[in-house]
Amino acid sequence: MSDGREERKEQEERRKWDEEKKKREDDRERDWERDGDRERRDSRAVESLDAAVRAESGRRTRRSFLIAAAAVAGGYSFYRWIDRSPGDQLMPHPLREMLNFNAKVARGVFDERGLAPTYPVSKSMELRTNGNYGLKMDLVPESYRLQLVGVENAKRYPQYVDDVTAWEYKYAVKKDPGPVEHDTKVAPKDEAKVDPNSDAGAGEGPMMEGGPASTMVAGSGEKSETKMPPAFEAAFAALKKTQGNKRPRGQEEAGMSDNTLDPGTPGLLLTMGDVTALPHHELVTEFKCIEGWSQVVHWGGYRLADLIAKYPPARRADGSLPKYVYMETPDGDYYCGYSLLACMHPQSLLTTEMAGRPLTQWHGAPMRLHMPIKYGYKQLKRIGLIAYTDDQPDDYWTKLGYDWYAGL
Amino acid sequence: MPENPMNETGSVDPAAPDEPITEPLVDGVDAAPESLSIAQKEVAADAVSAVPISLHEAEPEPASSSIPATVTKVDAEEPAAASIRLEKKHPLAIRWMHWVNFPVLFTMIWSGLLIYWNDSDNAYQHPHAVYRFGVGSLTLVRLFPPWFWKAINAPYRVTEGLGYHFFFMWIFAINGILYVTYLLISGEWRVLVPERRSFVDAIRVTLVDLHILKGLPPQGKYNGAQRIAYTAVVLMGLGSLVTGLSIYKPTQAHWLTTLLGGYEMARWEHFWLTMGFCGFFVVHVVQVILAGWNNFRSMVSGYEIVPAKARLEEERSAR
Repeated sequence: MSDGREERKEQEERRKWDEEKKKREDDRERDWERDGDRERRDSRAVESLDAAVRAESGRRTRRSFLIAAAAVAGGYSFYRWIDRSPGDQLMPHPLREMLNFNAKVARGVFDERGLAPTYPVSKSMELRTNGNYGLKMDLVPESYRLQLVGVENAKRYPQYVDDVTAWEYKYAVKKDPGPVEHDTKVAPKDEAKVDPNSDAGAGEGPMMEGGPASTMVAGSGEKSETKMPPAFEAAFAALKKTQGNKRPRGQEEAGMSDNTLDPGTPGLLLTMGDVTALPHHELVTEFKCIEGWSQVVHWGGYRLADLIAKYPPARRADGSLPKYVYMETPDGDYYCGYSLLACMHPQSLLTTEMAGRPLTQWHGAPMRLHMPIKYGYKQLKRIGLIAYTDDQPDDYWTKLGYDWYAGL
Repeated sequence: MPENPMNETGSVDPAAPDEPITEPLVDGVDAAPESLSIAQKEVAADAVSAVPISLHEAEPEPASSSIPATVTKVDAEEPAAASIRLEKKHPLAIRWMHWVNFPVLFTMIWSGLLIYWNDSDNAYQHPHAVYRFGVGSLTLVRLFPPWFWKAINAPYRVTEGLGYHFFFMWIFAINGILYVTYLLISGEWRVLVPERRSFVDAIRVTLVDLHILKGLPPQGKYNGAQRIAYTAVVLMGLGSLVTGLSIYKPTQAHWLTTLLGGYEMARWEHFWLTMGFCGFFVVHVVQVILAGWNNFRSMVSGYEIVPAKARLEEERSAR
């Protein structure tokens, strides 16, 4: 029967199909096993290969961090070397050297010949007062003379004297204290504290007895309470006696200048008339303080270059001009050094008027310096002495850690 | 880009037959893995277009009998490869200049603060005009308040500040000039300078970083935001040197000072550039922390561990 044949055929096919299915499943199982094996084997291989990559990374990282640690140690030692270097006028030696190097670069690049921009008078304002060294008392105008030392063939001038230091400046207790604007940490509204820098209404303010007057240096500004040992006190009294009770020079924090004249120094004693005989100039420039502020100011006066031309410096043995100029206040409390070149700059002005009015005492009457190629701390008020010199002169703020050059 | 030999032989091609082989067996449906693979790769950039193509080529053989042959073939051809590899990321010169700049810029900012303090001093009489938040005569706050100066021990250290500032300015300048010169000569500037699309990318990157959007745009060594930030900070360094010079020599270089808007303006610019450096520093450090150790290490050792299968940028773009 066809039925039986068909049935057999069907059975046969089913068996075949089952067999095939089984085979296929076996295959699949084998495949699975095989894949698993491969994966396991691969993952072990991959893991070890990855570990090798990580090890290589670790090696490189360790080496780099070792070098980095050495660099950090080197860098820190470099900083420590600078910071712990002995001071050269209150500035670590390497930093001082760099300031001098920078000055050399600036002189080489700019030659100090550039002119400061000038402004219309309408842009100018009242210059604030800042620092009163050498100005604690009013100078009696009639007693003013400008000492000029190192002038060529000085004896030929009628203003020649054998000893310029013998000239006595006369002082008076301040009549007008002026705006008390010296920078202090004490706000005026704080009545409990006395402004240590104030010289309002006093000839000898607290600053005369010690203590800093400016934020440009550190200090509490309070009067020292420590008593001197008796031996010191006796020696100090003896010194005062030999000085004929004259006020000692260099009474501010930086002390006495190395360039203060020895008694018996010959030179010229110029009157204000000698200075005002020079051509008059006006200038509106920006005054810049190293503290960070600046103001446009209207100046009037006489070119320092003209004064130098009229009273030229004595030449050295080889015929060259001396390199430096030194200036100080009549009491020797404040002093500055300049290169002769800076003084010959056409905008270096012996200022007698500010904002169109005669200079006030607190701004350095009768005559102060304006020098737009230098910071304010080089623009000496109440010039008592101008001396030509061969060696780099002492400078008040340089002694307290500032740059000697201070060129803008 | 330097080609890595491991990458050429071991990454893209062998991966292709590997994946689809098991998939049809599990699913039993031919179409599924194909659509799956496309969906996966859609995220990737055009740079990886080679991968889906090789996947398709492997598709038409889902039959069971062919599997062992394929596997053996792969087995014979491709020995197991590491899943990660080291990739050189930062050249030695860039690493040195980057790390030298860090303490030098710190010293410049610190010494600058010591100098700035001097103008913040008698604020009751002369509040400084330069360092403040404000417009015209309106001042919101002057920088910095007294407690800040006290906290950083700035008062009465002006000479120290000036001394260090005018010493380290040389190192800062020389290091910066060397860096830019190196970028130009080595061609590294190409990965650093923003491209036209960097600006759009930067917005997207920022939004992704702020968890507002998802999906970073494709990038090279640096993304758009990085290109802009790293180029900007180099320009800021140049700006600091130029404004610094105009403050340092406002008479001899008065043309420069005038060009920058005058002495006070130049000081203002110098100050805000410094504030910009501080802002950059904060963002930079946060991003480095978020990026993790692998990325940080590459700025020290120069190498980053990356997945072997994809190049660095591919991995980044797929993130």
